Amino acid sequence: MSSGPLILGAGDSPALRPQGPVEPSGAGVSERARRASRAILSDRRIAVPLAVIVLLVLFAIFAPILWKYGPDRQDLINSLKSPSTTHPMGTDQLGRDVFARFADGARISLLVASIVTVAGALIGGLIGLLAGTVGGVSDGVAMRAMDAILAFPPLILAMAVTVGLGIGLNTAAIGVALVSVPWYARLLRSEALRIRSLPFIEASYAIGMTRARVIRRHVIPHMLPVLFIQMAAAFGYAVLGLASLSFVGLGAQVPTPEWGAMITEGLSYSLTGQWWISIFPGVGLLITVTAASLLSDRMRDLLDPRGEYARL
Amino acid sequence: MGVVIAKRVLGSFGAILGATILAFIIMRALPGNPARLIVGPLATPQAVASVHREIGLDKPIFTQYWLYISHFFEGNWGYSYADGKSVSALIGERLGATIELALFSFGITMICAVLAALLVTYRRRPIADRILRGVAYLGFGTPPFFIALILLIVFFRSFHVLPGPEGRLGLQASTPPAVTHLYTLDSLIAGKFGTFWSSIEHLILPGVALGLSSFSFIVRLLRANLLEVSREPFITVARGKGLRRWTAFRRHALPNAFLPTLTAGGLVLGEFLAGSVLIERVFNWPGIGSLVFDAIVKQDYAIVQTFILLSAVMFVLVNLIVDLLYAVIDPRVRIPAVATA
Repeated sequence: MSSGPLILGAGDSPALRPQGPVEPSGAGVSERARRASRAILSDRRIAVPLAVIVLLVLFAIFAPILWKYGPDRQDLINSLKSPSTTHPMGTDQLGRDVFARFADGARISLLVASIVTVAGALIGGLIGLLAGTVGGVSDGVAMRAMDAILAFPPLILAMAVTVGLGIGLNTAAIGVALVSVPWYARLLRSEALRIRSLPFIEASYAIGMTRARVIRRHVIPHMLPVLFIQMAAAFGYAVLGLASLSFVGLGAQVPTPEWGAMITEGLSYSLTGQWWISIFPGVGLLITVTAASLLSDRMRDLLDPRGEYARL
Repeated sequence: MGVVIAKRVLGSFGAILGATILAFIIMRALPGNPARLIVGPLATPQAVASVHREIGLDKPIFTQYWLYISHFFEGNWGYSYADGKSVSALIGERLGATIELALFSFGITMICAVLAALLVTYRRRPIADRILRGVAYLGFGTPPFFIALILLIVFFRSFHVLPGPEGRLGLQASTPPAVTHLYTLDSLIAGKFGTFWSSIEHLILPGVALGLSSFSFIVRLLRANLLEVSREPFITVARGKGLRRWTAFRRHALPNAFLPTLTAGGLVLGEFLAGSVLIERVFNWPGIGSLVFDAIVKQDYAIVQTFILLSAVMFVLVNLIVDLLYAVIDPRVRIPAVATA
């Protein structure tokens, strides 16, 4: 990925205008954050996917508590019933309520994917920040390690991790998080390099700020928009990756109602007419991932108009 | 240019080296018994001990790593404990099915992506453009196995227009004599058009399911590039000197817009490698993907480990080839002075 000298047109964007040495205080940062959040909420193209994600989160939190059936409650007499008023998503081969399992699956998918996203962002972000600000040998070593991770097709490395560490949702989460680390690291490294070359950083040094302070007060706040954009996209991939691993049997195990695992369970029934067991979790995946990638793209348009991704 | 290429080739070797180290750490060096992982949960202690010795787990860690990669690159990939065959034989007999599916899928993906991108950019078609962007988002956000399921429900179960999950051929078609191991070509060579048609029919649904996410990616890239290139001054010049719209598009815009999609080649391969594991089982397609899927279910990890390392090597090599091709085609990469000017 090409770094630094791309375009210094960041000043065109009101949300991202670099703070001059006149106003290097924390007030500038929070003011900018407030402006950015106002811009986000007033943009319908961002507000809609954001609202979808918020609704999904609320659903994942409250639906499993409020719904009358539990995800593991079997009722063999009423197995394989099509959607009705008592079972809005029907029942599966063991008479379990698909809606209850769907809701529990939402909780699992969103929770694990959030943890994966935050963990990946923290680890990858830290590596990128160190590589981009300290440089030298640590930069070289870190980037070679990232190359080793990127040498694998993403999902296949995640599979390798679960095979090596033992099958399960936790190891699948570790695998998916590991895969996301180099993306953060590379992105934030190039961001750090770019920001470091801006004139106001030189000015900060000139007025006697220490390097740690410059990094904390200027470099990190300027990296946040790019980090958030990447996290939104990575969240979608995490949901997708976890579901894929569970689908092949490496992630969540039976009877955990993870969406990917639910699709596997319902697979053979789908072709004999009981489509609801697999379709609902699949639609859940589709909505979550699409909302996350829409959100990421819109944020990119708004916050990062100079980036090489802006064209997509 | 020589320096650029040498650097890139060296970098790829570094990446492969790093990948083998990473795979070694994950598979062998982390806690747990790798020998048990290879022979499976039901093996006798003697069998575990024998594999333990064979892969050198009693030796120092550097020797272990050396044995690990030398076995891999010599093609000594061990044996499947489930049916006793060597992993290389198992992969070999399923290679044809996977390659045929991948080639077919790649073909329709590229053709559809170019046509769709042309359709929405050649003249302004706002509605078609919106639909295409929507499809691209959905295609990118949907797991391939779910797409496979929907395709089967719609085209097999509801409308009965395409065959269901019965593998590469229908029941009435016989396997053509093996020449290329691709049934479509083999049946043409043997002159059996019924078998040819059957194999094509069986390729369509898995091909679409496998290619949709790559299609989404490529079509977005191509659309954005076409829009950008068609605003370039040299297109105005081409039109100004009297070229017709289509000629200017075909001769000037399309080649320039197509170039960056080359870099998607590596990504497409990655999607196909992972995607084959995800969808082949859904269609009962007898390829490497379903071999790996079944191996995961049976915890037959000699196969899985080989597949993982093999994927990494192929992934790095394809990315290298793509980059070199790029350098050959694009003078801005080929001649560094132009790039920096």
